[in-house]
Amino acid sequence: MPLLAACGGSQEARKEGTTSGKDAAKILPAFVASNVVTPDIPSKNGSPVGFTKAIPAAELKTSVPQKLGSGGKLTAMTPYWGTPPKGNNPYYTAMNKAIGVDITWQNQDGVTYDQKLGAVLASSDIPDIVVVPDWNLTGRIPTAINAKFADLGPYLSGDKVKEYPNLAAVPSDAWQRGIFGGQLRAIPMPASYVTGMAAMYRKDLFQKEGYAVPKSPDEFLSWAKSATKARSKVWACDDMKWTALQVFGVQPGGDKALWWNLEGGKLVNRIETPQYLEALEWTRKLYAAGVVHPDAVSGKSGGSAANRFTAGQVLVYNNNISDWWGKTAEQRTQNPDFEMGVIDVFGPDGGDPTLWAGQPGGMFSFISKKASKQQIKDFLALCNYCAAPYGTKEFMLTAYGVEGTDYTVKDGLPVKTQQGVNEVSSTYDLTGNPAPYVAYPDFPDITRGIVEYQQRMGAFTKKSSFYGLTVTEPTRWANLVDDFEQLEDDVVRGRKKISDVQQAVSDWKKRGGDDLRAWYMKLLDDNGSAS
Amino acid sequence: MSHSTVPRSRAEADTPTKTPTASGGTTGRRDTGRQGRIGFWVRLRRDRTLLLMTLPAVLLVLVFNYVPILGNVVAFQDYDPYLSDNGFVAMLQSPWVGIEQFQRVFEDSQFWHAVQNTFVLFFLQLLLFFPVPIVLALLINSVIRPRVRAVAQAIMYLPHFFSWVLVVTVFQQIFGGAGVIAQTLADHGVNGFDVMTDPSTFKYLVTVQMIWKDAGWGIIVFLAALSSVSNDLYEAAAMDGAGRWRRMWHITLPALRPVIALLLVLRVGDALTVGFEQLLLQRQAVGPDASEVLDTYVWWNGIRNQDFSYAAAAGLIKGLVGLTLVLVANKVAHLMGEQGVYKK
Repeated sequence: MPLLAACGGSQEARKEGTTSGKDAAKILPAFVASNVVTPDIPSKNGSPVGFTKAIPAAELKTSVPQKLGSGGKLTAMTPYWGTPPKGNNPYYTAMNKAIGVDITWQNQDGVTYDQKLGAVLASSDIPDIVVVPDWNLTGRIPTAINAKFADLGPYLSGDKVKEYPNLAAVPSDAWQRGIFGGQLRAIPMPASYVTGMAAMYRKDLFQKEGYAVPKSPDEFLSWAKSATKARSKVWACDDMKWTALQVFGVQPGGDKALWWNLEGGKLVNRIETPQYLEALEWTRKLYAAGVVHPDAVSGKSGGSAANRFTAGQVLVYNNNISDWWGKTAEQRTQNPDFEMGVIDVFGPDGGDPTLWAGQPGGMFSFISKKASKQQIKDFLALCNYCAAPYGTKEFMLTAYGVEGTDYTVKDGLPVKTQQGVNEVSSTYDLTGNPAPYVAYPDFPDITRGIVEYQQRMGAFTKKSSFYGLTVTEPTRWANLVDDFEQLEDDVVRGRKKISDVQQAVSDWKKRGGDDLRAWYMKLLDDNGSAS
Repeated sequence: MSHSTVPRSRAEADTPTKTPTASGGTTGRRDTGRQGRIGFWVRLRRDRTLLLMTLPAVLLVLVFNYVPILGNVVAFQDYDPYLSDNGFVAMLQSPWVGIEQFQRVFEDSQFWHAVQNTFVLFFLQLLLFFPVPIVLALLINSVIRPRVRAVAQAIMYLPHFFSWVLVVTVFQQIFGGAGVIAQTLADHGVNGFDVMTDPSTFKYLVTVQMIWKDAGWGIIVFLAALSSVSNDLYEAAAMDGAGRWRRMWHITLPALRPVIALLLVLRVGDALTVGFEQLLLQRQAVGPDASEVLDTYVWWNGIRNQDFSYAAAAGLIKGLVGLTLVLVANKVAHLMGEQGVYKK
């Protein structure tokens, strides 16, 4: 009997496709805006809002007047970029106490998170809470999510969300992304749909050498050749593939549904576009010219790219623009002259670029299907607490930790101590967030710079056909594009040719790409686009 | 290293299952005449203490080596582990697809690349790696002062205890594009030195890494064999006027022969296992065309891409070829008059 029940349950949970329109409206939580503090920089062109002014402790508001947690225990698996802090540190203790839930973190290396996720979800013993970034929704992970995680609809749909006011202030388009397999399964981390990926340069070193910021792909290449001085251990850039894909107007590579766009009545996948090949070709030229740091050639990207950048070994690298603040805050303690800036995305000919919108929610928190009602409520208490907006006591504790231990107040500004830098980072932060914002009161200019970059880029940003939707592909086609990222990396490093990509695309069509196109077309006809 | 760890664990795995018969065998040999007459139950009663003592080990082997073999059925399915919370129930519910997964594997050019790389690496390791510990053991054995010997041994063993992450990082710092050698060359006007990202020489790179890390560790077995050679033999040979080379040729090497043959058989049986972590760590640096071997191929498709049935099919092919190789190698060892791994 339990076997049969499991069978029936899982069949229903394995729903393919997507949920939008009226069906989605039935399960989406109500939206109740929160206006604790008026942002110093309002949103424009889809940008996040910015907070530049620090708020004195006495003026902080309270958004969670009473503890919602029951005192229970939860385990949580999250990606972590860097060295995870030890458990039971003052920050964790204070957070758990404030939320009323005892959370044990199981941090996994964010760079190789995709390799852990499939195996963990296939086991019978998964942590209570699992955080999944949308770029890890590859292969059969969406199917696994539909099968393994609880429906939050009974707790959050419609007005029920009002029990959790901070979650009620999460924008509806982010919630829409949290619908997996027909049910509201995820607490989404709202994100601005405008790209957060940016090419950043060492402003201090550019000024010292008298370099002008390049304004087109050709300019970049010739500048890079002149700026590379391998003898003195300086290379012009790190791996620039992500930037190249933006420059040449390729649809984003994170969420698989966004790979498709309707062009002239036909759905076209990013890998079929000439822009895709152009972007790879330009990146290949950079590698061939020897202007990319050798360690990037050997594939050690991610966190270490930023280290090469701060060490002055590369002058330009790309990453999430939040590094602008993160790296500056980190470096200024040792090097007061450290200054970096952002290079606006230019078009293929140096003109305006064509950018594609990312998804309005890009990181998801799930709770296991096996969790009890009380555990689900504890999970929501955690998310509600962490989603507190800027200007509240809850935000302050979540983002800065314990005063005196994790940060001190200098000239009215919160400044993290070394302990705070080590311990207060991307754990609680991933499990709930208010509407997209940038708030670095310690560096108001950088806050302004980040928001304004996204406002400028937002003006060039278009939404593609499946923007805003979370799609579960049929498993028989779920593995079709798995190896394209590897192929890209091989091509740009000169180990494979552009013609190999063309061959892979024609194989992809034969092995199911064209069938998948028809499937997406039907999905689009049935559901319409969310945007 | 694959040669030393894998065969050793296999040997350990074999020991407990064999122990009861072995003990029975020795007693049997002592009173050969009666062996046929002792009944099964009598022997069971007599050896019950020994049997009880081996039981935990046998259970471990059953649970961790034999039960997982059943999982190979997913190679004939379109296995979806997310169908149920229990992997075995999910197996029951997954649809059967016959040999479709095997067809997919054989049609995949990446698979054949992996097979080719595996064999190339195997032969390179056999040629370049395998003799190194023997030579080192002979060298160490000729050192007389115990102190020098101990220090030399310690230095040779040490790299074995470094993780592959560390080894690859050390190599990157020395031979990488921003490493010591590249930097020194750049100072003298030679640019572009980077052996860490050169796919064409990758096979030599990994073999060299392997030698650096594990050749020292590999000498232990040979040293043990050498220590069992009686000094009388050397003295007698020396008395008869045999020089250093003659003594090595006629005494030392024959003493090592059974061990070399045994390790060779084990190595050939393990031919398709040429390293996993070491190659996975450097996959990005040279691309899968140069670095993919069967083990990383199975891992990539099974764990990274969650295409479990496909990976199981590829793994099963590897297992069957490996089994054939063990049988053949063992047969060859018997023909050469050596013990091999087992005898009927």
